[in-house]
Amino acid sequence: MLWIWWQLIIRYAWTYRLRSAVQVLAITVGVALGYAVSLINTAALAEFNAALREINGEADAVIEGSRAGFDEQLYARVASDPGVQLASPVLATDVLVAGSADEYPPRLTVLGIDVLRAAPLSPTLMGDASLSGEREASRFAIFGDGILLSPSALERFKLQVGDSLTVQAGSGTVELKVRGTLPGVRPGSLLGVMDLGFAQWRLGALGRLTRIDLRLADGVSLETLRARLALPPGVNLAGPDATGARLANLSRAYRVNLNVLALVALFTGGFLVFSLQAQATLARRAQFAWLRAAGLERGQLKRLLIAEALAIGAVGSLCGLFAGAAIAQAALTALGGDLGGGYFNVTRPALGFPLLTAAGFAVLGVLAAVAGSYLPAHEAAHTPPAAALHAGGEEDVLRPLGRIWPGLVLLGVAAVLLSLPPVSGVPVPAYLAIAAILIGAIALQPRIARLLSRPLADWLQHARVGTRAPTLLLAANRMVQAPGAAAIAMAGIVASFGLMVAMGTMVSSFRGTLDGWLVQVLPADLYARVGLSMTDAWLSPADMQRIRTHPGVLRVEFSRATPLQLAADRAAVVVVARTIDATDPGAALPLVGRPLAWQPDQPPPVWVSEAMVDLYGARVGGILHLPLAGGLHPFIVLGVWRDYARQFGSVAMRAEDYQRITGDSTRTDAAIWLRPGVRAADVSRDLLQTLDSREVIELRAPAEIRALSLRIFDRSFAVTYVLEAAAILIGMIGVAATFSSQAMARSREFGMLRHIGVTRGQILRVLALEGALATLNAIVVGLLAGLVIALVLIRVVNPQSFHWSMQLIVPLELIAGLIAALLVCATGTAAIAGRRATGSSPLRAVHEDW
Amino acid sequence: MADSALDVSQLSRRFDQRQILDHLDLCVAPGELVAIVGESGSGKSTLLNLIAGLDTPDAGKILISGQDLAVLDDDARTRLRRARLGFVFQSFHILPHLRVGQNIELPLVLLGVAAGERQQRVAELLAAVGLADRAASLPRELSGGELQRVAVARALVHRPVLVLADEPTGNLDAETAAMVMRLLVTQIRERGAAGVLVTHSAAAAALADRALLLSQGRLHPQNLAVG
Amino acid sequence: MLSRRRLLLTLAALAAPASRAAISYPQVLPRALVFPQDFGAHADFRTEWWYLTGWLGDRQRPLGFQLTFFRSRTDVDPANPSAFAARQLVIAHAAIADPARGSLLLDERIARTGFGLAEAAGGDTDVRLSGWRLFRDAETDTYHAQIAAREFTLGFKAVAGAPPWLQGEQGLSRKGPDPLQASYYYSRPQLKVQAQLSRGGKVEDLAGIAWLDHEWSSAALAPDAVGWDWVGMNLDDGSALAAFQIRSKQAGQPPVQTYAALRGASGSVQLVAPVDVRFTPLRYWNSSRYRSAWPVAQRIRIGTRVFETRPLMDDQELDSRLTTGAVYWEGASQLLEAGRPVGRGYLEMTGYVAPLTL
Repeated sequence: MLWIWWQLIIRYAWTYRLRSAVQVLAITVGVALGYAVSLINTAALAEFNAALREINGEADAVIEGSRAGFDEQLYARVASDPGVQLASPVLATDVLVAGSADEYPPRLTVLGIDVLRAAPLSPTLMGDASLSGEREASRFAIFGDGILLSPSALERFKLQVGDSLTVQAGSGTVELKVRGTLPGVRPGSLLGVMDLGFAQWRLGALGRLTRIDLRLADGVSLETLRARLALPPGVNLAGPDATGARLANLSRAYRVNLNVLALVALFTGGFLVFSLQAQATLARRAQFAWLRAAGLERGQLKRLLIAEALAIGAVGSLCGLFAGAAIAQAALTALGGDLGGGYFNVTRPALGFPLLTAAGFAVLGVLAAVAGSYLPAHEAAHTPPAAALHAGGEEDVLRPLGRIWPGLVLLGVAAVLLSLPPVSGVPVPAYLAIAAILIGAIALQPRIARLLSRPLADWLQHARVGTRAPTLLLAANRMVQAPGAAAIAMAGIVASFGLMVAMGTMVSSFRGTLDGWLVQVLPADLYARVGLSMTDAWLSPADMQRIRTHPGVLRVEFSRATPLQLAADRAAVVVVARTIDATDPGAALPLVGRPLAWQPDQPPPVWVSEAMVDLYGARVGGILHLPLAGGLHPFIVLGVWRDYARQFGSVAMRAEDYQRITGDSTRTDAAIWLRPGVRAADVSRDLLQTLDSREVIELRAPAEIRALSLRIFDRSFAVTYVLEAAAILIGMIGVAATFSSQAMARSREFGMLRHIGVTRGQILRVLALEGALATLNAIVVGLLAGLVIALVLIRVVNPQSFHWSMQLIVPLELIAGLIAALLVCATGTAAIAGRRATGSSPLRAVHEDW
Repeated sequence: MADSALDVSQLSRRFDQRQILDHLDLCVAPGELVAIVGESGSGKSTLLNLIAGLDTPDAGKILISGQDLAVLDDDARTRLRRARLGFVFQSFHILPHLRVGQNIELPLVLLGVAAGERQQRVAELLAAVGLADRAASLPRELSGGELQRVAVARALVHRPVLVLADEPTGNLDAETAAMVMRLLVTQIRERGAAGVLVTHSAAAAALADRALLLSQGRLHPQNLAVG
Repeated sequence: MLSRRRLLLTLAALAAPASRAAISYPQVLPRALVFPQDFGAHADFRTEWWYLTGWLGDRQRPLGFQLTFFRSRTDVDPANPSAFAARQLVIAHAAIADPARGSLLLDERIARTGFGLAEAAGGDTDVRLSGWRLFRDAETDTYHAQIAAREFTLGFKAVAGAPPWLQGEQGLSRKGPDPLQASYYYSRPQLKVQAQLSRGGKVEDLAGIAWLDHEWSSAALAPDAVGWDWVGMNLDDGSALAAFQIRSKQAGQPPVQTYAALRGASGSVQLVAPVDVRFTPLRYWNSSRYRSAWPVAQRIRIGTRVFETRPLMDDQELDSRLTTGAVYWEGASQLLEAGRPVGRGYLEMTGYVAPLTL
C-alpha cells in the first residue's frame, strides 16, 4: 500500500506540481491566517495577564470596586479580619501624561501601594533608584513623594530618572519627580508606582482605594470571607483570575470574530481543495478504474485518495504554521497586540508558540483538506470501473452534485441554528449557520446554474444570435449539460465572494450607522473632554466657569462619565450624567424604540444602552439598582438608546439625580454651543490658553470627532479587510487552477472540435464564455448567500457579541467592483487555461495533462 | 478433475430493453486460449466485464478456477481479480506518471510480493516483451505498440490463471497489431495461463485454440481458416 | 517569600524628595520623666524603642527571648493629609535563642501606622503591629505581649517589682560629646516572666526573668560613632547592671561614650564614672553570612568590679536590614564575675557590619 501510495500519489503530485502547490497553498494560507490571529490574540491576552499579575501580584484574592474606588476604611476592617493574613491596599488610576504629542495619548497606569505590604504580594513592583544621581540619606525616602516608572514608560515618555512627569489628575495637572525605575516590570508595560499616601494626595483620591490584594489565612475560603466581610455594593471579593477573566470576556467577541474570519480563509481553502481534488479525481478516473480492475479494493482506493488529501493537508498545515508564526510576528510589530482593535493597553507583547494551538490548527488544516477530498474520494471509490474504463460519462459522476435536497437541508439547518442563543456570549450557532448557508448555497449551485443557463441556451438555439455566435451557444449548452463541472470550479469563489459580500455589507452597515449616530449625538459646535474615558480626571469648577463665560459661548452642557463595576467578571459599565429632559429624552439621546414617560412618584429615571439589556437584563419599565456612592440606589429604566462608544454598557441619567445621589459635582465633558458667527477654532484656541486643564483637555469640533471615530473604526477593521482579501485571493487561485485542469481534461473534446473545423480562437472564446457564465452564476449564488449572511451578521452576530444594532446598508460600489474584478479574473483565467490546453496538436490529446 | 479456468453457464445480461447476453455458456480449460469475435455492440465487452466481476449478471453463473463470483462481495471479487486475472485493454491504460517498470510491477505490489522478487519478475517480463531497456522510461516516451507490450507484460507478471484481452490491438496499425498479438498469445501459452481474447480481427482469432462468434447473445463455434 | 534584594533596592529608592519638607524633631533636653505618660510613645521624636529581653526555662535548658518594638518618625511631608501617609513606622523583631538550634528563631514586621493596624500609643506602653502587641497593665505594672511569629508563638506577662530605673542623669542618657547627642532612657530590670511558647506544635509554659529598655531620641549618635556594645544584666542577687560603650569610627580610638550603672536589690543606684568603664573583647565569633567578626564574649570593667559575658550560643546574629536597616547581634548572655556566673541578660552589639544610622 505504501508503495502504491508513494508511486501513485507522490508521483502524481509531483507530475502535477502546480495543481498540488495550489492545493497546498490553499491550506497553507488558511492555516497561516488562523494560526497567526490565534497567536496574536494569545500573545496579547497573555501579555495582559502577565501585566495583570505584575500589578496584582501573587494575591490569593482581590477586593475590587469600580475605578471610582471605595472608602479606605474598608481596608481597616479587611486587614484586621482573622481570615486575612496580609492585606495590601492599592489605589490604581490611569492618568494621562501631559505633553505627549500622540494623537492617541497612552494611558499610564499608576499604582499607589504601601510598599511594605505589597512587597510579598507584588515583588515585581519593587523599584530601583540606583540610577538616581543624588542618593539621599533618608531611609524613609521610599515613603515620600515621586514616582517610579517602568522602563517602557521611561522610554515612551522620553524621561530619565530625575526628570519631572506631568500628569492629569483630578481637575488639574500634577508634577511628579521620577525617582527610579521598576526593573521587574515586563517590557511593554506603561506603569508607574507611587507611595499610596502620596498617590492619594497628589492624584486627588484622598480617602479612596480601588483594590485590596489579599493573602488569605490557611483554610479560609473566598465564600466564608465574602460572607463575613459584607462588602458594600459595587465592591467585590474575587479570586485572582477575575480581572483576567473580565478582560477575556471583554475582548472575547472581538477575538472570536477575528478567529472566525481567519478560519474563513481555511474554509475557502477547503472548498478549493474540493474543487481541485474533484477535478484531479475525474482526470484519473480511468486509472482508478484500471486499478480497481487490477485488484485494488474499493476501500483501498478511498483510503489512497484520503491519504492524498492528508498529505496535502499535512504539508499545507506545516507550511501554514511557519507562515502563520511569521505573519504574527510581523503583525505584532506593525499593528500591536490588538491588531488595531484598541482592547489592550499593551505595547509589545512577546510571542509564544504554544504546541497545542499549533497542533490544533494543523489538525484543522488537515481536516479541511480531507473534508474537501472526501466527496471526490468517495465518488471515485464507488464509480463502477467497467464504465470508467471507457471514456466519457464524467458528468455522471457529478450527478449527485445536482441533487437539490442536501442544499435545502443545509439551509433548513441554518434556519434552526439562527434561532438558538449564543454560547457563553459567543454567537457559535450563528457562525455555524453561516457555514451551513454557504455550503447549502454551493450545493444548490449546479441546480441554479442549470435553471439560469437553460433559458439562455434555448433562446440561443433559436435566435439569430445563436447562429452568429456559435461559441456562446456551445458555452451555454455546456452549462446546461455539465453544471456540475462549473459548480466544482466555482465552489471556492462562491464561498469567498459570498463571505466578502457579507463582511463588506456588515462593515458598511456598521460604518454608515455609526456615522449617522455620530451626527445625532454630536449636535453642539465644540466638545471638550478631560482625559480619555478610562482615566480619572475632571474639569475644575473654575474651568467650567471659564467655558461658560467665554464671550463666544452661547450655551454649555456639562456631563460626567463614571465607570461602574456591576459584576466582577465583566467590564465596567459607564454612567453618563448629563442634561436630559425627562419629558423629551430623545433630544439628548439616540433612542431605540419609544421611551416611557416618567412619573414623579417613580425612582429617578435612567435610559440604558442596548448592551445593558443584553448583558444585565435591564428592561424598559424595570428597576435598575446601581451601586453609587457606597449605596445601592434604584432607578427606573425609561428607554433604550444606541451607544456605539461603550460596548459593555452605559446608563444615562440626569445630571441633577447623579449629583444628588453621589454629591459629585465634577464634570468630565462639555458640549458647547457657540454664538452665531463665532468660529469653533477661535474659542478652542482661547480655551486652550486659559483653562487649568489645558495640558490634557481635548477640544474637538464634531467633524473632527467624526473623522477621528471613523478613522479608529477603519483601523480596527483593517485586519478584517486583509483577511477577506486573503480569502478571495485563495478563491481566485482556485478558479484559475480548476479551470485550467478542466480545460486540460477536455483536450480530447477540443481536439475533436478542431477536427471538425472549430478554430483555436473560437475554442478560447468558448472557454472564456464558459468561464464568464460560470462566474456569473457563482456571483448570483454568492451574492444571494452573502446578503443572507450579512443579515445574519447584522441581526444576530453583532447584537449577540457586541450588543448593538445597526441598519442594513449594502455597499453597492464595493460589490459592483468585486463583481467586475471577479468576471475579468475568471474569464481571463479560463482563456489562459484554454490557451495552454489547446496549445498542443489535436493529435496529442491522448496525453491528458495540464 | 481439475476445475476449468473459466466456467460460464446460462449467463444473461440486459441493458435497457436490449438482451445483450442470453443464457450464454462458455468453458475455458486451463492453458486454453479462446478468441471471441463479433460485431460492434454484440456484447463482447459486456461479457468480459462480467467475467472480470466488474459487472453483475442478471442470471447465470461464472466460476473462475471453480470459484463462483456470485457468492463474493465487491472486495472479495477484487481480491480474486488481483490474484487470478490479467487484463489487456484496447486503450492500454498505462498509468502515465509511473515508469514502465513500475507499471508492470503494480499488480505484484497489490499482491504484496516482496520487492526482490518483484524486480526479478518485472525484469523477466520486460525481456520477454522485448522492452528490457525501457524499464525506466515514462509511458509518454513510448509508441502505441510498446505501450501495449507493457500492458501485456503487466497482465502476466503476477501469473494469472486467466488473461482477459479486450481488442488489444484495436488502436494499433496492422503490422504492430500482428506483432503484439503474437507476443500476447505466445506469452499466455508460455506461462500456462488460459485466455479470453475479444477481437474482431480474423487474423488474431486464428492464433487462438478455438474461436467463438458472439451473436444474438450466445456463442457459436467458428471455423477459422488458418492464414 | 519576597525577594530581599528587591525590597532593599526599593528601600534605597526614591532618593531625593522633590520639595524637602521641613521636618523638625524635638531635641532631647533635661526634664523630669513623668509616668505613666512616658511609658507611652513620643510621636514627635525621631526614634523610639521598647526592648524586652530575657531568659526562660531552667538552668539545664535555658532559652533566650527578645521582643523589640521600634517606632520611627519619617521625614514624609507632614502636610500630606492622606491616612496612608507614612509619617510613622512601627517595626517589631521577635527572636528565640535556643542552643539546641544554634541560631536565632526570628521574625520581623514593619508597617506604617494607621487604621488601628499598626500603632504606637501615647499615655502608656501600647504598641501593636499586624497582630503583635506589647502593652502595660497599669494596675499591676505588668507588661503583656502576644506574638504570632512565622515559626513560633510567644505570649507572656512580665511583672515589674520596682519603679522604672532612670538611666543617665534622671533618665537623660548621653550618647556623645554634644549634650544634644542624648536620649531619654529608663529600664525595667528584674521582670518576673510567665510565658507560653509554642514551636512546631509543641507548647511549653516557661518561667523566666527579663529586662525592658525604653528609649527615645531624635539625634542620638555622634557623627563619628560607628555603633555600640550594650549589656543589660539581671544579677542573681536581685541587683542589675546596665552598661554601654559607643565605639568610634576610627579603629583604635577610645569610645565616643561609655556608661555603666548598677542598681542594688534595694533600689539604690550606683553610677560609675565613664572613664572607669571599659569593654574588652575576649573572643570573636566569625559570621559566615556577612563576613563579620562579633566579640561575643567581652570583659566589662566597671570601676573596681570586673565582669565577663559568655553567650548562650555564638550565632545570635540578626539581619533586620528589611526593617531597621541594620545587622546586629542581640544575644542572651551569662554574666560572670571572677569566673563564677552571677547573672543573666543580653549583650547587644551594633555597627560591626556597617556603620549604624538611626
